[in-house]
Amino acid sequence: MASERLERLTEVTNDTSKLGLTALSGVIALLVASPLLWIALRATQVDPDRALELLISVRTGDILLTSLGLTLGVTVFSILIGVPLAVLTTRSDLPHRRFWTIVAALPLVIPSYIGAFAFVSAFGRHGEVSEFLGVPMPRIQGLAGATLIITLYTYPYVFLTTRAALLSMDSSLVDAARTLNADRLEAFRRVTLPQIRPAIAAGALLAGLYAISDFGTPAFLHVEVFTSAIYWEFGAINVEYAALLSLQLLAVTGIILLIEAKVGKDEDASGGSATGAQIRLGRWKWPAMGGIAGIGIVTLVVPIAIFGIWLVRGTGGSAPTYAFEWAYALNSVYLAALAAIVASAFALPVGYLAARSDSLLARLFERVTYVGFAVPGVVIGLALVFFGANYAGWIYRTVPLLVFAYVVRFLPQAVSTTRTSVLQVDDRLPEAARTLNAGRVETFRRVTLPLIAPGVVAGGVLVFLTTMKELPATLMLQPIGMDTLVTLIWSAHGTAYYRYAALPALILVVISGLSMLVLLRQEDFNA
Amino acid sequence: MQQRDSNQTRRTATNRRQFLGATAASVGALTLAGCLGGSGEDLEGYDPQSSAVEASAVSWDDLGDLEGELTIYSARTADQIDPLFEEIEAEYDDFSVSVDYDDEGDQLASLLEEGENSPADLFYTQSSGELARLKEEALARELPDDVIDAVDDNYSDSDGYWTGASGRVRAIQYNTNEFDGDDLTDDIFEYATDDRFEDVISTRPNSGTFRSFIVAMIEEEGEDATREWVSSMVDDQNATLYSSGSSQAEAVADGEQAIALGNQYYAGRILGNDPDAPLDVAFTTNDPGCLFNVSGVAILEGADKPNLAAEFTRHILAVEGQDFFVETNGEYPVLDGVDYVGDLPALDEINPLEFDLNKLSNVEQAQDLLRQEGMTV
Repeated sequence: MASERLERLTEVTNDTSKLGLTALSGVIALLVASPLLWIALRATQVDPDRALELLISVRTGDILLTSLGLTLGVTVFSILIGVPLAVLTTRSDLPHRRFWTIVAALPLVIPSYIGAFAFVSAFGRHGEVSEFLGVPMPRIQGLAGATLIITLYTYPYVFLTTRAALLSMDSSLVDAARTLNADRLEAFRRVTLPQIRPAIAAGALLAGLYAISDFGTPAFLHVEVFTSAIYWEFGAINVEYAALLSLQLLAVTGIILLIEAKVGKDEDASGGSATGAQIRLGRWKWPAMGGIAGIGIVTLVVPIAIFGIWLVRGTGGSAPTYAFEWAYALNSVYLAALAAIVASAFALPVGYLAARSDSLLARLFERVTYVGFAVPGVVIGLALVFFGANYAGWIYRTVPLLVFAYVVRFLPQAVSTTRTSVLQVDDRLPEAARTLNAGRVETFRRVTLPLIAPGVVAGGVLVFLTTMKELPATLMLQPIGMDTLVTLIWSAHGTAYYRYAALPALILVVISGLSMLVLLRQEDFNA
Repeated sequence: MQQRDSNQTRRTATNRRQFLGATAASVGALTLAGCLGGSGEDLEGYDPQSSAVEASAVSWDDLGDLEGELTIYSARTADQIDPLFEEIEAEYDDFSVSVDYDDEGDQLASLLEEGENSPADLFYTQSSGELARLKEEALARELPDDVIDAVDDNYSDSDGYWTGASGRVRAIQYNTNEFDGDDLTDDIFEYATDDRFEDVISTRPNSGTFRSFIVAMIEEEGEDATREWVSSMVDDQNATLYSSGSSQAEAVADGEQAIALGNQYYAGRILGNDPDAPLDVAFTTNDPGCLFNVSGVAILEGADKPNLAAEFTRHILAVEGQDFFVETNGEYPVLDGVDYVGDLPALDEINPLEFDLNKLSNVEQAQDLLRQEGMTV
C-alpha cells in the first residue's frame, strides 16, 4: 500500500501531463473564485472604524451564532437521516427498495423555499392541515423551523453520496468482521463506517454549505442568518456592509472546508462489489418503510397537495400577466442543461486531479471550487453585474454569463461526484492499459472515462436540478425578459397570486424528478 | 467602484451637459438636442415630440408616436404595471418595452453596480427613496421641463431628476372580527403602546415604503422618538416581522394576526378575491403612519434612448396612464387635473404628512436604528 502510494507520488512529480492538469485546475479554480474579488472590493470601501463597529456588534455575533447553529443542525440531522436511509436501501432486505430509494432521494428536487411556502401554508393555527384535522398545528418558524425544512430538503445529498459508497464497497469485509464475532453494530462502526466516512463527509459538506447559502427559507421563517442579513443590507443599498458580512461568511466557509478536508480525507476506497449478507429486517421492515413514507409525505405530498389546492381553488384572483407559458419551462431546462454540461466539463480536470494526486495544490484547487456554493446567489449575482456591465458588456445580460454564475454556484456538486468516481477506479486498470502501449490520453479516453462516466453524469444531474431551483442570481443576470419557472413562481407568489405559482412549481418538480431518476439509474450502473 | 468615487466629477459633467441641452432647446435647435440625446434611437429630441404634458392631463392622442425598444428596470411588480405597458405597446406598431422585474433593492443595487454602463433606459420603482438615491449617485438624468412642470411639486423631485407616476399611502390593515374601525387610533405612536395590539401586530421591515416611513418618522419626530417607537414595537408589542407583504396581509385576513402596518393594496387584492374576508384598512392622521409616497420613474444618465424614455414618461403622465393607476391599482394620481374616484378616502380626508420625498433617500440612519433595535428580517 505504502509503496504503491510512493510509486504514484513519484509518477506525479515526473509527469508533465499532470503539471498541465494542475495548471488547468488552477485556471478553473481561479475563474470560479474570481467573482469573490468583488466582495473584497466593496468591503474595503467601508470606513475602517465603522467596519470594526459593525463587525464586533452584538447583532453580528448573533448572526454568526445563528448561522453556525443552522449549518451545524442541518449537517447533523442530514447525516442522521441520510445515512440510515442509505444503509436501509442498499444493505437490507427492505421490500420495494427501488421505490423507497426514489422516495428518499426526491426531496432534493424541491426548492427549500417552495417547501417553506408550503409548510407555512400547511401548518399554523389556520393552515390547511389544521383545518383538515380540526386540530390547531404549531406554526413552523424560527431557527428550529428553518433547520427542519432545510434538513428535509438537503439530507438527500448525504443519502446519495453514502448510498453510492455503500454500493461500491466490498461488503465481504463486513462478513469477515462478522465471522470474527463482531456484532452487527460493531461491524458497522469498525468496518463499514471508515469505508464510507469520506462519502458521508462529502454529502454532509454539500448539505451544510447549502444551509449556509440558503436565503429563501430563513427569510421566510424570520431567522436572521448571514444570507438574510446580507439581503437586508442590499435592500437598503448598504452594499458595503453586506460585503463585510459576506467576508465573514467566507471565513466560516473556509473553516468548514478545512474540517471536511480532514474528516473526509480519502483513504483508498476498496473497489469491488461483492454482495455480502444483507441485514434481515424482519418485523422492523414496517417501521423502516413507515419512516421513509413519513418523510416522503411531509416533503413531497404536502407541498404538492398545497400547490394542487392553490391551483384548483384558484387562490389569489386573476392576473393574466402571470399566465403560464411552456417557454418558461423550456428556458429553465435550457439554462440548467447548459450549466450541467459546463460544470461537468470543469469538474473533470479538478475532480480527477484531486483524486489522483496527493499534492497540496490539487487539494487546494478542489476546495476553492466549493466556495461559490456557500456564497448566497445574490452576492455572486451582484458581483457579476459589476464585472459584466463594466468589463464584459458583450456578454452582460446574456445566457453565457448567467450560465457562468450557475457554474460558480454549483460546480462543487459535480467536482464531488467526479472525484469520488475517480477514486473508485482501480489503479491497476489504467496501468494495464499503459503497459499495453496505450498513450495517457488514450488510456483516459478508453479506460478511465468510461469507468467514471456515471459519476460525471450524476454530478451533471445534481447541477441541473439545483440550477432549475436557483432564484437570486437568475433574477439579476437573466437576459431581460427571459423568464423561467422559478422567476414566474417568485413573481406570482410574491404578489399573492398563488394559483399562478402552483403550475410552474408542479412542473419544476416533475422535470427535476425525472432528472433524479436519471441520476439514480447512473448510480446503479456505477455499482 | 469607480462610479462612486467619481461622483463629483461626473456631476460637473452632467451640469455642463444640462446647460448645453438647455441652450440648445432655447434656440430651438432640435437637431443639436437630438445629437446630445444619444444614439441608436428613432426619436429626435428630448423635448415633446408633439404636445407637452400638462397638469390638466393630455391624452395619448396628443402625444408623439413611440418607436423602437425601450429597456426598463422595474421594481414594480408585473401584475401592477405590465397591463399598462401592454396597453401602450398596443397603441404603436413599432414600439415595444423590454422589462426586467426584480425587487427594489436588487434593482437599485444593480443600477449602482452597472453605473454608466447600465442597459436600462428607465428605472420604474415603488418608492421615491430609490429614485432619490439614484439622483444622489448622479445616475439620473434631468427630466424635460414639461414633465417637471406638469406633476404636482409634492410628488416629484424639486431639481427635476425624477417624477412620481402614482401615489400610495401607508395604511393600517386590520381584521374586522377583532377590531371595529372606529376603535382604532389615528396616531401611529399609539400602535406601539396600546396593549390591545400586543402580540397581534405586524410590520414588514424589508420593504422600501417601510424604510421610507422610518426615515420620515426620524425627520418629523426625531431619532429618539423613532427609536422608542421601534423598540416598543419589538419588545413590548412583540410585533411579528414579515418579509413578504402578501403573507403579512393574509395573516390578518385569516386571523393569525389582527393588525398589519403596510401598504393598502395587499388588502385590496385579498378583498378583490374574497369580498367576505374579514379585512379592512384604516389610516392614521397627519403623521408618518400615513406617509404619502410615490411610485415613479427616472431616466438614466447612461440611457441609450433618453428621447424615447422621455416620451414614454409623458404617456404615463397622460390621462390614460393616470386613470390606469386609479382604476386598476387603487392608487392616487399625481396630476392635479386628474380626479381620484376610487374607494379609498380622498387625500384631504387623511391629511397625509407634507414631506420632501427627496429626504427619503437618507436611509443609513434609519437602517442603523432598525438594526440596533432588532427590527430586521
